[in-house]
Amino acid sequence: MRIETCYFCSQPCYPSKGITFVRNDAKVFKFCRSKCHKNFKMKRNPRKLAWTKSFRRAHGKEMTVDSTLQFAQRRNIPVRYNRELVATTLSAMQRVSEIRARRERQFYKNRMRANKAKQLEADRKLVAENQHLLPPQYRDQVQEILDVEAQKVDMELAQAEDLEVEDLEVEEEERLEEEKTKMKTKRKQRLVRGEGVEEMDVDE
Amino acid sequence: MAVRASFENSNEVGVFATLTNSYSLVAVGASENFYSVFEAELQDVIPICHCTIAGTRIVGRLTAGNRKGLLVPTSTTDQELQHLRNSIPDSVKIQRIEERLSALGNVICANDHVALVHPDLERETEEIIADVLGVEVFRQTIADNVLTGSYMALSNQGGIVHPRTSIQDQDELSSLLQVPLVAGSVNRGSPVVGAGMVVNDWMAVTGLDTTATELSVVESVFKLGEGMAPGAINTTNKETMVESFY
Repeated sequence: MRIETCYFCSQPCYPSKGITFVRNDAKVFKFCRSKCHKNFKMKRNPRKLAWTKSFRRAHGKEMTVDSTLQFAQRRNIPVRYNRELVATTLSAMQRVSEIRARRERQFYKNRMRANKAKQLEADRKLVAENQHLLPPQYRDQVQEILDVEAQKVDMELAQAEDLEVEDLEVEEEERLEEEKTKMKTKRKQRLVRGEGVEEMDVDE
Repeated sequence: MAVRASFENSNEVGVFATLTNSYSLVAVGASENFYSVFEAELQDVIPICHCTIAGTRIVGRLTAGNRKGLLVPTSTTDQELQHLRNSIPDSVKIQRIEERLSALGNVICANDHVALVHPDLERETEEIIADVLGVEVFRQTIADNVLTGSYMALSNQGGIVHPRTSIQDQDELSSLLQVPLVAGSVNRGSPVVGAGMVVNDWMAVTGLDTTATELSVVESVFKLGEGMAPGAINTTNKETMVESFY
């Protein structure tokens, strides 16, 4: 017995649960519960409701392009029963689900990576903007801390810029030197060439 | 050999069975009687498979097939598909079709070389038919009926079409199929010849009500009887047949 997924929220529809709707053009819609069916009848788009799987997929909150997601599909061409094949399939299913779990975890981590810095930034902004809410004795302290932090940040930025500038200068110099040496070597070569072939081959 | 049979008091044999040159599908019934009719002729020749399609017994109307392949509708469950695969030889391709017109036996009429299909069938389905059954596909109607599979019984030797098919239509279809056709009926005048009987190259099964005349027409056009020459229905045997039956 195949456990179909809900047309609306993509969760599995187990036997005895939900309702099936067959449209006039013979397309079958399975719904896992009346919530999904009612939303469908109201002609709501599942891609625009945050609690559905299709929303999450459409908004990059879950893996969509992945080789492990392509195993669970309805296949129209059957394969003859073969005990070994079934055994390997079963073990492979386990392995695939492990791999998928790992990939999903990784995907989640990647998605959440920038959040910490963003949150800190937002907190700072909140503190900076809402100092008038603090009791008066703390205001100076906070101001100091904020100043120190701001200085730190400035310093860092400045350092970074300095470094970059220095790097650039160094690179420039190097480039110039290289060019000079190139010119020199060229001259040398030319000179050597002028003298003759035999002497050019001499390598000390 | 043409034989009569009935499935649980119904004459519509083509509804409850599919017969091809390499396999046969029979509906699961209360009694084995219907099954034994097939078994008597086909045992040790081709596999006869008891099956259901989408939980129903109307396997003949829901499936379409020939020697090379079998098509089942999208409502077929995974278990039924697996059962078919396990009971039918590996040389036969089986495929489930995602098609709006799910009674494939009514909309597809095929022998091992040509298939006549319903004009409204989807293009993808048409390609799958050509691919799986290994046939040339033509969109046709039979006596202005779109259900080609219901109104035509076809084998590699010949075919019977709806009794009201005009001579021009018969000629056209016959040139398309490259087999002789006759307009005829089964089951005492029923025009749904496709649903009323099943046929392959060496056997035909019709409903229990089929008259002797109808049966002899079936035998001669499908060349099932002993010593039947090609095209006997329209030439040599016709007069003797007419004499003996009228």
